[in-house]
Amino acid sequence: MSGHHISSAKFLWGVALALFVLTFITVAVTWIQIPEPWNIVVAIAIAVVKALIVVAFFMNLWWDSKFNVLLFIMSIAFFLLLIGITLLDTLYRVDPVPSF
Amino acid sequence: MSQPSATEERLEHLKHYFIDSDQQFEASKMGMWVFLVTEILFFGGLFLAYIVYRAWYPELYLLASEELHTFWGAVNTVVLIGSSLTVAMAIRSAQLNQIKGLIINLWITIGLACVFMVIKYFEYAEKFGKGILPGGYYTYEGIEHEQANIFFSIYYMMTGLHGIHVLVGIGLMLWLVYKAKKKVFHSGYYTPVEITGLYWHLVDIIWIFLFPLLYLID
Amino acid sequence: MATNEENSNTKKLQVRRFKPEENPEKHYLNEEKGIWAWMTTVDHKKIGLLYLGSITFFFFVGGVLALLLRTELLTPAQSFIDADTYNQVFTLHGAIMIFFFLIPSVPAVLGNFVLPLQLGAKDVAFPRLNLASYYIYVIGAAFTLFAIFTGGVDTGWTFYTPYSATTSGNVMAMTFGVFILGFSSILTGLNFIVTIHKMRAPGITWNKLPLNLWGLYATSLIQILATPVLAITLLLLTMERLLQIGIFDPALGGDPVLYQHFFWFYSHPAVYIMIVPGFGIISEVISTFSRKVIFGYWAIALSSLAIAFIGFLVWGHHMFTAGQSSLANMVFSFLTFLVGIPTGIKIFNWLATMYRGSIDMKTPMLYAQVFLFLFTIGGFTGIMLGALSVDIHLHDTYYVVAHFHYVMMGGMVMAFLAGLHYWWPKMFGKMYSEFWAKISCAILFVGFNMTFLPQFVMGAQGMPRRYFNYIDQFQSFHQFSTIGAYVMGVAFVIMAIYLVHSLLKGKRASSNPWGSRALEWQISSPPSLHNFHHVPVIVNGPYDYHKPMSEFQLGIAASHNGHHAEEAVSVSQSEKEQA
Repeated sequence: MSGHHISSAKFLWGVALALFVLTFITVAVTWIQIPEPWNIVVAIAIAVVKALIVVAFFMNLWWDSKFNVLLFIMSIAFFLLLIGITLLDTLYRVDPVPSF
Repeated sequence: MSQPSATEERLEHLKHYFIDSDQQFEASKMGMWVFLVTEILFFGGLFLAYIVYRAWYPELYLLASEELHTFWGAVNTVVLIGSSLTVAMAIRSAQLNQIKGLIINLWITIGLACVFMVIKYFEYAEKFGKGILPGGYYTYEGIEHEQANIFFSIYYMMTGLHGIHVLVGIGLMLWLVYKAKKKVFHSGYYTPVEITGLYWHLVDIIWIFLFPLLYLID
Repeated sequence: MATNEENSNTKKLQVRRFKPEENPEKHYLNEEKGIWAWMTTVDHKKIGLLYLGSITFFFFVGGVLALLLRTELLTPAQSFIDADTYNQVFTLHGAIMIFFFLIPSVPAVLGNFVLPLQLGAKDVAFPRLNLASYYIYVIGAAFTLFAIFTGGVDTGWTFYTPYSATTSGNVMAMTFGVFILGFSSILTGLNFIVTIHKMRAPGITWNKLPLNLWGLYATSLIQILATPVLAITLLLLTMERLLQIGIFDPALGGDPVLYQHFFWFYSHPAVYIMIVPGFGIISEVISTFSRKVIFGYWAIALSSLAIAFIGFLVWGHHMFTAGQSSLANMVFSFLTFLVGIPTGIKIFNWLATMYRGSIDMKTPMLYAQVFLFLFTIGGFTGIMLGALSVDIHLHDTYYVVAHFHYVMMGGMVMAFLAGLHYWWPKMFGKMYSEFWAKISCAILFVGFNMTFLPQFVMGAQGMPRRYFNYIDQFQSFHQFSTIGAYVMGVAFVIMAIYLVHSLLKGKRASSNPWGSRALEWQISSPPSLHNFHHVPVIVNGPYDYHKPMSEFQLGIAASHNGHHAEEAVSVSQSEKEQA
């Protein structure tokens, strides 16, 4: 729970290495042409993993107070809410883009 | 004024309305996290626009993203992740009272951020040259899709706002270097370094999503 | 969290009673003098007063604009302003009242003043950010005034595209002003969240937090979650005008309904930014003047959070006729009804608090009663508008105007006035004339209902909103409504007179004129510059009226530092002074 977590240099380099590898993978999978929509799923999944690694180990949320974790989760939840409910409209319109 | 109990601690940073350094540090960090929440939702609006139009015009995104160079996008991703690493190392240096290491790491971060912006500049310049300008100024005819301008409007909004955040980050880190040289930071007080680091990592995270969403569609 | 020497959940503190000093020589209003000291102050109380001055100015401007509108509507045809000017006037009335009065009113004025006092803190967590938020507000206001004098804005306060992207007025300056204002709102919310979490005095656990702070906490959460989306919306709108980026422009392949999603994702929760802190005030006032423990503490506290959350799920009920999918219509209509549940819970708990209490009908309590009455009407008519088929008929009519004003003015402004009259003695150390305050409240109540009740009827009969002329059959309604608006104007003039009189010649207020148990009343009126000379210790809830006053004035006896609010405090009262 302490806010003063000190990571070792080795650990930080390890985190960065993992991120570099994931960056390479996300580029590499585009070479093998995964069919729609799985290519999007894979790309987003890798990005999410990368983001979580940054949040947990660079931003030290792993060792941080629970409320800061909650704040982060809350921002993601409300972002998903914004997207989810808007898509309820835009995906289900009879005439997708109203013509004037 | 509160009564500092420790004997040899440096406490000139402690504001009178806080009881101790820990309370002040925790408050500042929570404040930064709250601010990051607002940043996530700020960019969230643009991601929403991206998703809505991608659902409407999937073929547009396929065509338009060919104009973006995956290679340079990937290089920029690596550059930003590298700068995240150096900012984390800078915080570590501050925590260990290594002020020299702190300053060096900050300079490397600033350097990497500048590399990012330079690459971005060349990407923009290349598109401007082709007539891929934002919004109503769009004149490029290489993409056979009626709404091609929409993709690039979203592209410019997202990368442009992200770029502004990078510039702000560079400014903040220059200020940190200035403060560090004046020996303001030490292992008992490095709050500005910590919260600037948090901001910088968020800028990195946003790019981590922008890269596959914009460059890696094909 | 516990970083000090104590590891157990409770700790022993030596406390003694600190009786507040009556009529202090030195207090926050006179300790630092001069304009410069005021303009650069980081004291939360003074920043609250700076905000109070600014919102009073904007309330006056918005109110005058409203009277202009009502005067024009005396006759069915043009009376004295033409259609274009009318459009600008109603746009400015809406934008100024919402963005420059309602949103900052309770959080930035009363919240700023009272939040650290109720927490037993010396200031908010980030005083300089607090001052910055005020200047950001001023800059935003300057841009808005600039927009007014350079072409005006005639889009309505919602800035709907595509009209806002093409109209000739100075929409850019206006939206930029509101964009800047958003940062002020965010900074206030950020400050409050951190302050409530980190700066509570020993003993203020989450279940002893005054309900006003629960209201402000819920509000702050909405502010930080919703306002950034407004910022990006207005930025996109600005880019639409500047570069024709086309995201919201059907001529360029964009979608104007998407703009409405963006806009209402902020602006519906924004309605709760305005009303939820009002709920907090009402809880304080009703408990204080009923001399009774608040009924259903947790129900009221959590229903604030529930309203904040549900407020994010219902934005599409503003768009039932805008062309969104029928699936979205149905979902939004259903979710809208859910808002009624936590709101109803609150109303019932307030009524139960008053039941068999010893009610003292002082001015703040009178405003609280007005609030209960008017807000309930506003709430019920909101349920009508949430019903899909009914809304098709009532959409964009005066029914909506009346509903909105019953909630915002009948609810929020009355709650603000309740809070202003409640904390006025604490703010300035002066009492106001109870007689004139009650007279003014009564006139306001009558004038308000005269103005807005006829609008429900007109709306149901089909009078559309935002029109500067109308068919003859509505004339009597409109005239009645206009007279009511002037009656309200009279009430506000009376209020201004007795409040100014109170400042200049009012009787000195005691430290606790209402006999409240809450922490902000246990220090002198006005408070000293740093609020507390001791570290206050809380052992009872803020509404425990069955316990003696002496138990509410405790503070740490030694100058020991014990500010970790996470622990419950078991207090040994050995050194307690006798009163």
